[in-house]
Amino acid sequence: MKRNPITLVTAGILALIFALMLFTFQVRQTEIAVVTTFGKFSRDITAPGFNWRLPWPIQRIYKFDNRIQNFEKKFEQTTTHDAINILITVYAGWRVVNPRLYLESLNGDSVKAEQTLEPLIRNAKNGVISQYRFGELISTNQADLKFDQIETNMLATVRPAASSTYGIEVAFVGIKQVGLPESITTKVFDRMKAERQTRVKQYQTDGEKAARIIRAEADSQANQIMADAKAKVIEITGNAEARASEYYKVLDQNPELANFLFQRNALEQSLKEKATLILDQQTPPFNMMGGQGAGITHSSPLK
Amino acid sequence: MDRNILKTGIINLVALLAIAVASQFVAQFSGCLTAQISVFYLTVGVLVAAVSAFQMRLANRERIEQLELSELKRSASAAALFDSTEAELYPARRAREQFDRFFVPGFALLLLILLGLAVYVSWPWTGKSLGPQIPKATITMALTALFSLILFLLGKYSAGVARLEGQRLLQPSASALLMGSVCCLLITLAEAAAWFGFPLVDRWTSRLLILILGLVALEMAVSLILEIYRPRVKGQATRLLYESRLIGLLGQPGGLITTAAQALDYQFGFKVSETWFYQFLEKALAWLILLQLGVLALSTTIVIVEPNEQALLERLGKPVAGRNVLESGLHFKWLWPIDIAYKYSTREVHTFYVGFVPDPEADKERLLLWTRPHYEQEFNLLVASRETVASSSTSPQTDQAVPVNLLAVNIPIQYQIRDLVSWAYQHSNGADLLDKIANREVVRYLVNVDIEAIMTTGRLKAADAIRERIQAQVDQNKLGVEILFVGLQSIHPPVAVAPAYEEVIGALQEKETNILGAQAYWIEKIPLAYADATNLVTRAKSDGLTKVTTAAADAGQFRNQMLAYSASPQVFRQRSYLETLVQAVRPARKYVLATTNTTEIIWLNLEDKLRTDLLDVTVPKPR
Repeated sequence: MKRNPITLVTAGILALIFALMLFTFQVRQTEIAVVTTFGKFSRDITAPGFNWRLPWPIQRIYKFDNRIQNFEKKFEQTTTHDAINILITVYAGWRVVNPRLYLESLNGDSVKAEQTLEPLIRNAKNGVISQYRFGELISTNQADLKFDQIETNMLATVRPAASSTYGIEVAFVGIKQVGLPESITTKVFDRMKAERQTRVKQYQTDGEKAARIIRAEADSQANQIMADAKAKVIEITGNAEARASEYYKVLDQNPELANFLFQRNALEQSLKEKATLILDQQTPPFNMMGGQGAGITHSSPLK
Repeated sequence: MDRNILKTGIINLVALLAIAVASQFVAQFSGCLTAQISVFYLTVGVLVAAVSAFQMRLANRERIEQLELSELKRSASAAALFDSTEAELYPARRAREQFDRFFVPGFALLLLILLGLAVYVSWPWTGKSLGPQIPKATITMALTALFSLILFLLGKYSAGVARLEGQRLLQPSASALLMGSVCCLLITLAEAAAWFGFPLVDRWTSRLLILILGLVALEMAVSLILEIYRPRVKGQATRLLYESRLIGLLGQPGGLITTAAQALDYQFGFKVSETWFYQFLEKALAWLILLQLGVLALSTTIVIVEPNEQALLERLGKPVAGRNVLESGLHFKWLWPIDIAYKYSTREVHTFYVGFVPDPEADKERLLLWTRPHYEQEFNLLVASRETVASSSTSPQTDQAVPVNLLAVNIPIQYQIRDLVSWAYQHSNGADLLDKIANREVVRYLVNVDIEAIMTTGRLKAADAIRERIQAQVDQNKLGVEILFVGLQSIHPPVAVAPAYEEVIGALQEKETNILGAQAYWIEKIPLAYADATNLVTRAKSDGLTKVTTAAADAGQFRNQMLAYSASPQVFRQRSYLETLVQAVRPARKYVLATTNTTEIIWLNLEDKLRTDLLDVTVPKPR
């Protein structure tokens, strides 16, 4: 019977691939593996590379990621030493260090591993946080903060149990988020608003105060200027009076004439406004109306 | 023989029904997605087998009817019988023809709708599946392998019988059995893959099956359309429209060429399969497929790393010494799975956000206000406060005076992978850890900084400080990443408090307005005061000068008047008096009493005359 060479080649290749799949396996750089024979632990493989095996179901290979895996859980409410409620999220990094123990205790399931680690981490978180005051979590003073110490204590609480029971090394624990419950958040908002209102009042009062001071200073300065000016006026007027009186000394040479001139000026000034004069014939020059000769008079009102 | 194929058809139907029901239980038991999709294939197979069995029964009745009529034809005494119409003579044939004409296309259309619906409904499942349950995989594999074997044996037998002359009605159920066998085999393989640590195989297998369902639906739609235009050759049996060639092909891959040839011959009405090209293709197909597989294998020896990428090369799982990191360009390697290259986008700048979740819709807005949320989510972060608030409350649960503030901080962070080996081999999800570290450092920074400082002068300093802190943590955790940029693009009070902050700004403006108003008053008041003062002084100077000058003039005049007066005092006085009187009394009303020595009393009314009416108003003269 003639056999088709293509069929033979294909069958040979397929048989080789199948055999390799059955009898070999690879472990990547990022993996560690456990080999079991009929369900019993045979060996673990921590180095990457090519390995031989017996086919399933005689031997089974369990591969695990040997890199650090992260997880975080709920934003959970807890209480500080000074009885302040806070919300806190913690994250952790873990990796498989004992693959056999990991397989036996957690069935090699990373989801189950994280579910198992969660209560450990929550317990450590709540326990450690309750030993510290709120001011050691939040403060403007660097010396008061105990963030590193809190994380170190949480890690120290979790690590031994995880390693000895589950074959897991918890590499780090960190605080990702800190918050306040909603009821307290509302109060913080109220306080922030009140603090802002204080500033509003302060600015308004400062503005009013500064404005009033400036106005008062302006008034004061203006009054000072006017007062100075008036003093100057008085001085100038006095000087003028003094200088004028020098000139008026000449009046002493003929007081009679001076008085006459003063009276004449007074008469002139007093009749400038609306006036009514009732005169008789004795008053010059109306005395001329009584038949007396022009320019002949016997008396004068100014005499 | 016909009775035998009907019996075989019914056995096929029962077997398909039983295995479909059993597979449904297996699918629920194992959680295997491939099994769930396979149940649909088996159900369709049950329907096809049922219709096929019914059609066999009709054909059987038609054959018996034909035999009976042939017997009657030979009997001359039954001559009256031949006067009847054809419909009356061949009820079974007529029933079969009616079935072929109406029911078969209707059923094919129904199948088409069912397949379409199945694709539409089942595709989203594949994204939600958690994969097969590993502990139950062994039982599932055992059961489905058994189902596959039963279906294969029955199907192979039926397919063999269907190739015989006049037995083709068995072909649809044979194809359904063989396809069911393939489906069960795929379930076994998917379970095995999950068992060996490849749970995603189940998802991809189920997607492949759904894709084939879609193709079968498409094939049926095309068949229904082409059936209308197909040339009718007398005596040629019509094709069963509910029978899928694709299902037949997948169930019997060996019959690929035959199926294709039959399809072409049927569709074109002549022997396409006898052409030289077709025959060449049939002979060379195996070589072509092998060549293609060879090319596919060789293609795994080439790696092209894009400009923004680097790749890690592993040989049998170990990094290849000396060339474990491949830079951008063309590289050669051993066949998969000996050498495997894992590509990473290392040169690309990656961005993630702390404090908010970007909202693509909100990003289109041109105006960002504190009083309006401008991202999908903004987280309020705690910020320390220098002010100390004394808590006098006795019940901390109900009233906690917390000396902190809340602040919405939007920080985009950009990074680049610098050390690919660390990035890929140290952490299973470096990007996630980086996000956590960045959040931690931002929180840590804010709890130690005063809100006033961070919102004002400390802003730039804060960005640098946070970047340095994140970089330090990244280095400590060997993430192999360089933090390129940390931007405090927005720091503002939470939306609920933002209006109060705006009021402060308003009050500050009000303060400035008040001060500026007062300064304007000052600016007006002082120069005016200077002006008034200057005016007063100037006027005083002027008056003084006038007074002095006038005094000087008066003194000069007085000296002259003294000369005149000393010359004739009486004349001077009289003349001076009269000259003055003339000038002075000119505007005054004057009454001169000219009578003398009388005793009359004269009444003079010196009152001003009052205006009596409007007619006394002096109208100005027209110009």
